Amino acid sequence: MLLDIAQTAVDGLMVGGLYATVAVGVTLVFGIMGILNFAHGQLVMLGAYVAFYSVTAGWGFWPGLALAALSMALFGLILERLIFRHTLTDHMAGLTVSLGIIMVVENLASAVFTPDPRTFDPPLAGSVQVAGMTLSAQRLLVLALVLLLVGTFYLFLQKTRFGKAIRAMGQNRTGAALVGVQITHVTAAVFAIGSAMAGAAGVLYGSLFAITPYMAAGPLMKGLILTVLGGLGSVPGAVAAGFLLGLAESFGARYLSASFRDGYGFILMIVTLMYFPTGLFGARGKARV
Amino acid sequence: MSPAAVVVRILPLLGWLLLAGLIFVPVYGGSRYLIYIGTLIALQAALATSLNLIVGYAGQFAMSHAAFYGFGAYASAILVNSAGLSFWWSIPAAMLAAAAIAAIIGYPALRYTGGVYLALITFAFGELARLTAANWQDVTGGAMGMRVTYAPESLFGFSFANGRGMYWIAIGMLLISLAVVFLVQRSRFGRALIAVREDEVLASFLGIDVMRHKLVAYVISSALAAMVGTLYAPVMSFISPDLLSVQQTISLIGVVILGGAGTLAGPVVGTFVFLGIPEFLRIESLYRLIVLGVVIVLVVLLMPQGVVGLANRVLKRWQRTAPATPPTEAGA
Repeated sequence: MLLDIAQTAVDGLMVGGLYATVAVGVTLVFGIMGILNFAHGQLVMLGAYVAFYSVTAGWGFWPGLALAALSMALFGLILERLIFRHTLTDHMAGLTVSLGIIMVVENLASAVFTPDPRTFDPPLAGSVQVAGMTLSAQRLLVLALVLLLVGTFYLFLQKTRFGKAIRAMGQNRTGAALVGVQITHVTAAVFAIGSAMAGAAGVLYGSLFAITPYMAAGPLMKGLILTVLGGLGSVPGAVAAGFLLGLAESFGARYLSASFRDGYGFILMIVTLMYFPTGLFGARGKARV
Repeated sequence: MSPAAVVVRILPLLGWLLLAGLIFVPVYGGSRYLIYIGTLIALQAALATSLNLIVGYAGQFAMSHAAFYGFGAYASAILVNSAGLSFWWSIPAAMLAAAAIAAIIGYPALRYTGGVYLALITFAFGELARLTAANWQDVTGGAMGMRVTYAPESLFGFSFANGRGMYWIAIGMLLISLAVVFLVQRSRFGRALIAVREDEVLASFLGIDVMRHKLVAYVISSALAAMVGTLYAPVMSFISPDLLSVQQTISLIGVVILGGAGTLAGPVVGTFVFLGIPEFLRIESLYRLIVLGVVIVLVVLLMPQGVVGLANRVLKRWQRTAPATPPTEAGA
């Protein structure tokens, strides 16, 4: 029984970490640019395809991961320069253009990549036995990578000069500009970093699940739930909420009903919003009306 | 009058002409194909019109419209097949259930925060609804979908069981959606809604209950989507979870923006441009969607004031130079 609970908890943490990688990008971009980028899921999808082609071409998983992150960062920069820069801090316009981008990217992807589901061999196969628990090796690797990615990113935000500039902009755009932060550059960098995270998350998704041009909605849905749950714009909140959601899903699927797996997070979010209208880690008293 | 203003003035007229054409197609014969396409266009136009209420008039992004559309289709099919209800009674039942769900989701989403929160939460709900339809094997038939064999019963001695009968129901639903939006637009509630869209803080200063107005608009819009959905099941005689996918909502939002958000005729025009013309030119839906995506991006970027009430802004600019005409909201 105890072993069962432990196993369920570890499974939940592994899935939750994956969700958190998607959510960190969404919440960061919203916090800094005031843009809710629904096309974030499309970057996840494209990242997964980059890894698929890289593995199929024989370059292997690790170069594929690097390539996916880099190419998505580049794609993010292009999107930022061409489109999102013009909708900065306008919630509704930013949201609308991201919907347009979804339609273009998704349908182009289904024309180019065909809608057939693809999979690639993960770098680690089989499972390992830890203290009586059976854990998939690839899932453990994903968890380790997620912790590394999110941890590095958090340290970057907290300790480096550039990270401090990003946080300053998150608090007050004009104030940051006044003390000499190059807000245009920082904005572009933030979008590129968020996109790179999406690309990396896509590779990790692709190593566990099938890749299709329409796969974006699933990761994005989880990412958005975490963003709301953790408080819009809060990176630590998104990570904490990610693990919380992973645990909720894992325990719900194990002990309540597996076919309703995706619903637990939604219920968690609705109930949380009833008591914490700005999310678990959101700023208090920011209600608009 | 500038050329842009001329176009804006003519567009609604074009919408009504198209609507009239749609209604008169089956009166003057019309092949089965034409009636089928007409039914689909009427359903889509009704859907876009009801979405316009929350997106265009209230200025809120509801990403759950296709979910409620699909919910209506599934709820009606299940009620008719399993509970033995008549098709006509399943319509109000599905609408009531959809309204209740919309209220439950909309309340926390709009209570203190509004704006992007509604978009986030309704997106998550839409995807959840699709997954539920795909996974709840016993009730919905799972990912493979559900076959629908019933047809609407006769009413007042008029048979609705064939393609033409269902065409009239679709037209009726379109007219109901248009009538609801028209009445809202003309009412105190509708004017308050537009005030909320333009400036929430200012609207609350005027004593408008911002949250309640947005919530009511969302509930009405979602219930109408469920109403349209109930007819989809017998028309297509097959429903699948794809019906609820967020892509459908996104393309609907695109249609509303294309035709002109916050105008009565806009969604009808948008549906014809997006669905009707490519259908007759036999353009594959893939390219249609890509073009629509590009159009959305361009409209937003070239109209920095925002997409909502785009046509109205052009009108207002024109009216400022010719102040004789009183400002009419949303050119009917």
